[in-house]
Amino acid sequence: MLTFRGKINVSLWLGLQLMVLPFDALATNIPEFHLTLENHLFFPAEIEVPANKKVKLIIYNKDDVAEEFDSFDLNREKMIFPKRKSTIYIGPLPPGEYHFFGEYNPNMATGKVVVKGGSNVN
Amino acid sequence: MRRLILFILLLALSWQSDADGVVVDKVYSPYVLPQEREIEWRLMSRNSDAQGNQLGQRLGYGHSLSEYVTMEIYLVGERELGSDDFGLEGIEVEARWMLTEQGQYWADWGLLFEVEKAHTEDNWEVSSGVLVEKEFGKTSLTVNLFAIYEWGQSVANEWESEARVKLRYRYLPILQPAIELYAGEDFFGIGPAFQGIQRFHGQKQLKWEAAFISELSHSGKDHTFRFSVEYEF
Repeated sequence: MLTFRGKINVSLWLGLQLMVLPFDALATNIPEFHLTLENHLFFPAEIEVPANKKVKLIIYNKDDVAEEFDSFDLNREKMIFPKRKSTIYIGPLPPGEYHFFGEYNPNMATGKVVVKGGSNVN
Repeated sequence: MRRLILFILLLALSWQSDADGVVVDKVYSPYVLPQEREIEWRLMSRNSDAQGNQLGQRLGYGHSLSEYVTMEIYLVGERELGSDDFGLEGIEVEARWMLTEQGQYWADWGLLFEVEKAHTEDNWEVSSGVLVEKEFGKTSLTVNLFAIYEWGQSVANEWESEARVKLRYRYLPILQPAIELYAGEDFFGIGPAFQGIQRFHGQKQLKWEAAFISELSHSGKDHTFRFSVEYEF
């Protein structure tokens, strides 16, 4: 038997689940930065992004095998499937250097995101 | 955005919780990685004036089914109250569904579904939960809200609810201090926690978590220690 308190809880819980839906509208106009993974190397290996702004890293894996993007600095882990583009959302971040690597080829597939303030970002 | 975070925190803290089982367990992140398999062991040891010593263990095997969904099956073992016997208590199947890409929206969202069947009796429990994680620089706030329904041979048919919260500072991969909060029926506990990750080659990695939770809403002793190890491969 659902108590009154239980009904309130279930209603709040359902409401919370429905709150997910409207957030699609908030994810527009995010600057994009492109990386390529080829022969287990990231190109460019260093990419500059603006400070305090959410950005999209779009990584195109040209290799025939999957790689897993991993960065403790960026708090991101993402599988990058072969011959596919994957999107990783990062930031907003303060200025600094944030290292990342490919879990399957940690000695070769390495790179860093350099977060810079101001507007003179490539 | 801040108001929404505050709302979720207040909701978790004021959650009118009715869960009558062991509340201290694990605070789930909403994230799923494809092609990942894991073996997990969890231990929970509770010592309280009211209920004596309780011991629970879980051994699980998990496998991601897609980029967004992972499933795990657990053997649940418990030492019953007033008994020295530790044995298989039930089997649980769990599915976790990552709803949003990490960092895409103001917070990251997921859902969790669990079905548990008691081993020796015809008792069932079905849980459904919302998993939310929000990053603030090097700090991550994770909130889990669960609605639970149980029925069967020797349990009353009833709805229950639970709330779990973790505030974690990503200090080093191997050492990430946290504070965990749990709310269930007649239980409101909080305490320090630690977790870490050690990476090996490829997707192989070892994750560990430990927490010491003190129940605050009653007088007398009621402490729970929990520990878990996950090997992902």
